[in-house]
Amino acid sequence: MKGISPAALRRLAALAVIVNGVFPLLWIFLTSLKTEAELTRIPITWLPQAPTIANYLRAFHDQPLALYLFNSLAVAVMSTALTLFIATLAAYALARLNIGYRDLALAAIIAVSTFPLVTLLVPLFQTMRTLGLLNSYGALVLPYTVLSLPVCTLVLVSFFQSIPQDLENAAMIDGCSRLGALFRIVVPLSAPGVFTAGLLAFVNSWDEFLLALSFNSATRWRTLPVGILLYQGEFSFPWPEISAALVVGIVPVAVLIVVFQQRVIAGLTAGGVKG
Amino acid sequence: MSKPSLRWRDAGDAALARVLLAPTFLLLLLIVVYPVCRLLWTSLLDLSLSSGMPARFVGVDNYVSLATDPEFWTALANTLLITLITVPATLLVGLALALIANLPFRIRWPVRLSLLLPWAMPLAFVGMIGGWFFQSDYGVVNDILRHFRSTRIIWFNSGWLAFIAICLTIIWKTSSFVALVLLAGLQTIPQELYEAASVDGAGPLRRFLFVTLPLLRPAIAVAVIFRMITSLQTFDIPLTMTRGGPGTSTVTLAMYIHQNTVDFLDLGYGAALAVVLFFISMAVTAFYLRQVRAEA
Repeated sequence: MKGISPAALRRLAALAVIVNGVFPLLWIFLTSLKTEAELTRIPITWLPQAPTIANYLRAFHDQPLALYLFNSLAVAVMSTALTLFIATLAAYALARLNIGYRDLALAAIIAVSTFPLVTLLVPLFQTMRTLGLLNSYGALVLPYTVLSLPVCTLVLVSFFQSIPQDLENAAMIDGCSRLGALFRIVVPLSAPGVFTAGLLAFVNSWDEFLLALSFNSATRWRTLPVGILLYQGEFSFPWPEISAALVVGIVPVAVLIVVFQQRVIAGLTAGGVKG
Repeated sequence: MSKPSLRWRDAGDAALARVLLAPTFLLLLLIVVYPVCRLLWTSLLDLSLSSGMPARFVGVDNYVSLATDPEFWTALANTLLITLITVPATLLVGLALALIANLPFRIRWPVRLSLLLPWAMPLAFVGMIGGWFFQSDYGVVNDILRHFRSTRIIWFNSGWLAFIAICLTIIWKTSSFVALVLLAGLQTIPQELYEAASVDGAGPLRRFLFVTLPLLRPAIAVAVIFRMITSLQTFDIPLTMTRGGPGTSTVTLAMYIHQNTVDFLDLGYGAALAVVLFFISMAVTAFYLRQVRAEA
């Protein structure tokens, strides 16, 4: 270690973290810009020799990628909105109201956050099949809402607790009802918290795969992970198209993360976190 | 004892709380409690949708056939092995990432972003990217290994090599989550403790062992338990990387449940498999809740 200053060592460690986090995504992006001929050359090339967007055009043309993108967005937006509404109500009760079973309710919500989604597969499959909801947005929106409800509730509880009680009391003295105070004072003031909870719910929904694959396998209703997986044939792996499609699926969530990284970190910290 | 006026308000609070909490508990009843009851009941039925026969109560028959089904034991062993390998490995990698991210850099966002990006990626995408990384002819992993050994490794033709590739991919994906949890924990440790330890003559190693690690214990517990629970449900990465192959060497319990339920439509058997996974997860959760209560 002699000859290397601590500061240089620290920068090297930081570089290792950055390469570890970014390289796989960068690699799939580089792959998506290479021609099929270049991708099947040995030894492989690292930088695209003749960058092309042909793979993107084919990814959108050969498969309804735009539809998959829309389905993923639709399910994520609907379940996020529903989660936020339900979690806001619950979090307000848990943060502000004087109720005896508060700890029990919180424990129940935390227990649900560790609930294995796989075990819901069989009974929900039965229910969705009976109700004719297989291959519909509804099959995913309700389960995804439950998936994100615990973490969103915990995030919102911690944000609501940081709003001074006096502001609310003042509003109520001025004739505001308790619910009025919630939606006119508490929610606007904890807008960052609501937004953070929304981001977490959105990412959860965007990433879910098991239920999406099991319930919505018809082309019309596939979300991105399911749709892209099924680009593969039994023995063929069209990597150029798959890599382009993956980049399309990564960009929306990557943009959210880049723009709102501080919010996401705050949310993960406040929510006791969920993988 | 509260004054009458306050008690009146408490009564109002209780009614309002019931209204506000109703949607949450209704949803949990509908999407968690009722399905779990239905799961337990279905596991006692011979219910195969592909046969077209009506459901028939068969008691513990599904559990008996499960106990003698070699593929169940393979799937269970693979699931437990993935948990045993990836959870400790992820903890170590995640701790290293968190310690580096906690260093006093002037510009913090590049390192933080590098932890957030893998966390936010869909597992299924990561599995597909992993499949491309370990591809035997054109994969970047073999391209790097080419400099160290003369023959290329064909990752997905051998059960245990495929297993290693899957574990490495899982470790990459999940260590960022662990790092974020531990980073949050590290930032709650007061700086004065380190200063006090330095004054007492503790070097970096002793400060880490006697200040950082003990105070990080709650965060480590949360990270490990969440990772164990998600690891027991491992599905996305093996399915997208190997589809369980070669043979059944990388099939997990969740994949076997999915196959029996969705592909074979054998709901009774799928339910019995899910019940086994349910009780393993519940044991971990019970341990977690005890931990949370101990710290509260």
